[in-house]
Amino acid sequence: MHQTMPVRLGPAEETLIAQLESVGASAEADRMTVAGLPTRRVESYHYTDLKTLLKTVPPLAKVANEASAPALRVAGAYQLMIANGVVQAASTAPAGVIVGKAAGGVLTSRDDVLVHLNGALAKESLTLTLESSVDPVIQIDRRIEGEAAHAADAVKIFVADNGSAVILETFSGSDAAHVGNHATYLAVGKNAVVTHITVDLSSKATNHFASNEYSLAEGAKLRTVTIHAGAGLSRSQVFARFTGEGAHGDFTGLNLVEDGQHNDITIDIRHGVAHTTSQEMYKQIARGRSKAVFQGKIVVERDAQKVDAKMMMQGLMLSDEAEILSKPELEIYADDVVCGHGSTCGELDEDSMFYLMSRGIPKAEAETMLVRGFIEEVLDPIEDEALNEALTGIVDGWLQGK
Amino acid sequence: MTTPILEIRNLHARIEDREILKGVNLIIPPGEVHAVMGRNGSGKSTLSYVLAGKEDYEITEGEVLLDGENLLEMDPAERAAAGLFLAFQYPIEIPGVATMTFLKAAMNAQRKARGEAEMSTPDFMRAVKSAGTELNVDTDMLKRPLNVGFSGGEKKRAEVLQMALLQPKMCILDETDSGLDIDALQVVSKGVNPLRAANRSMLVITHYQRLLNHIVPDVVHVFSDGRIVESGDKDLALQLEAKGYADFDGAAA
Ligand SMILES: Nc1ncnc2c1ncn2[C@@H]1O[C@H](COP(=O)(O)OP(=O)(O)OP(=O)(O)O)[C@@H](O)[C@H]1O
Ligand SMILES: [Mg+2]
Repeated sequence: MHQTMPVRLGPAEETLIAQLESVGASAEADRMTVAGLPTRRVESYHYTDLKTLLKTVPPLAKVANEASAPALRVAGAYQLMIANGVVQAASTAPAGVIVGKAAGGVLTSRDDVLVHLNGALAKESLTLTLESSVDPVIQIDRRIEGEAAHAADAVKIFVADNGSAVILETFSGSDAAHVGNHATYLAVGKNAVVTHITVDLSSKATNHFASNEYSLAEGAKLRTVTIHAGAGLSRSQVFARFTGEGAHGDFTGLNLVEDGQHNDITIDIRHGVAHTTSQEMYKQIARGRSKAVFQGKIVVERDAQKVDAKMMMQGLMLSDEAEILSKPELEIYADDVVCGHGSTCGELDEDSMFYLMSRGIPKAEAETMLVRGFIEEVLDPIEDEALNEALTGIVDGWLQGK
Repeated sequence: MTTPILEIRNLHARIEDREILKGVNLIIPPGEVHAVMGRNGSGKSTLSYVLAGKEDYEITEGEVLLDGENLLEMDPAERAAAGLFLAFQYPIEIPGVATMTFLKAAMNAQRKARGEAEMSTPDFMRAVKSAGTELNVDTDMLKRPLNVGFSGGEKKRAEVLQMALLQPKMCILDETDSGLDIDALQVVSKGVNPLRAANRSMLVITHYQRLLNHIVPDVVHVFSDGRIVESGDKDLALQLEAKGYADFDGAAA
């Protein structure tokens, strides 16, 4: 038997341990002491070695007393806000929406450091119960304000049977070296139809971590869109579980990564029952010296016959120094299923660029047109016009280096 | 003497180690239509790409002036804004870009570069509609992504439609007639001929004398092995058709 050597802890880990102890999470503190932050040797963090990438962790967030301008305005949206981990008072909710607050975190425990940290550090969660079809887009503005802070926050959403909703979460805040650890749990009821969009718009100095857990009941239809267009270091995790037959999930995302950034989207989709289908479509665009990571895992459990799941990653390199990594994984325990995955990676097509420019369209505009075409599949299904426009605007802004 | 619309002097261009243009000299005065004919692989499309500014080629010698301006210093978009238009031999399909979005972007980009105001959407729609009717281009086709799924002939008509909308001063048509049926040939010439104007010139690359019955050239050039080897009036095209290239470029057919 080998004695496990205690890992050497860095300043980020020391701070995390002290923070966990200060909130009485001694079990989590012990776990961090023994294991430290995950390195590349931990399979699910192979491309995102947190031990190396996360050098320091700022103090736990205090109540925010200033707020920067909303990161994204969507006409007609119903706005909710969480600032520095604290759920803010909300205006009167639209019909069918019950807004509340609960103590503690929202995610199902699993072997993942970000999930553990959020569970230990999120003091309260914003709860949303959507009883029927909700008309306006619901926007949850999650931000970290003031000096560099480590903030954990949580949201729990129930969409009732036959309900429908479009939920947008934006992440932003002051320009400081924050560590944001965000969690969302979303349960989609029977035959409910839900679109859930998360957009990271934090400053480049920020480290953004988000874990989204979904459960899909019988006949549910879920579309998720994960967009990274902000933080220098980010990782968004999508954990989805199909619990009822006939459910369908479209899991999509845009990983926009620029010079000096490392952004990671990691998904884990579990088909636990038969006759469920999913399509995963992720697009990564990288420019400058940067790293874009997509890890996609689809698990089909033993009794989940007739599952149909197709995963696709497409990468677009806008510079030679950019790196686009993709790791697809299929774990299939049922025998009568259709599953597949593919990935492509390339540059903007030179002939297309020349054709557009030969008609007088300047280089930057031609690039934007082609990139818009590249990401169309992800944004097109978003039917709300104001929302679609706002998201297109984010991508255009990113392209123009804003 | 008036400034020629296009003036090419001793133009040499290579791709990788291979020289393809070997000293092209050509002057096209305002209002003239010049035809270029020549064997497959003689470098006609290369000349058109080099003029439009495609990156793959290295210009080793020579100069090109568009209405007196140094063309070779400009990027492809600047050349277009300066008034150059190339109707591609093989128009590119671009799946993610809607044809209408593209047309509007092109028209407005050129207007902007010339310091003119953007076109309003209704004005734009009117312009497209009338040009479309003229060229038998179904406006439904324009709702599709750019050139995607267009037949060979449809692509060529779409090129002429773009040309009609952009009103360039120098039009280069690279085998716009190939792949066209007889009716379409007439439609395309009907699109091109009204564009003939005192301040606009054309360079028409073709393999078929037939096109030149519709678009009657002022001068015909024979292109061979990277340069112009013979020039004459429109009857030169008839002689070429009758005798073949061997009499003109000395190479065996
Ligand atoms: N990218 C390239 N790499 C290498 N050679 C090339 C490339 N593009 C063109 N060539 C060569 O340059 C020569 C001229 O080609 P070009 O297309 O200009 O001929 P063309 O006169 O237009 O012929 P056609 O009548 O068949 O259209 C050909 O031999 C061709 O193979
Ligand atoms: Mg050719």
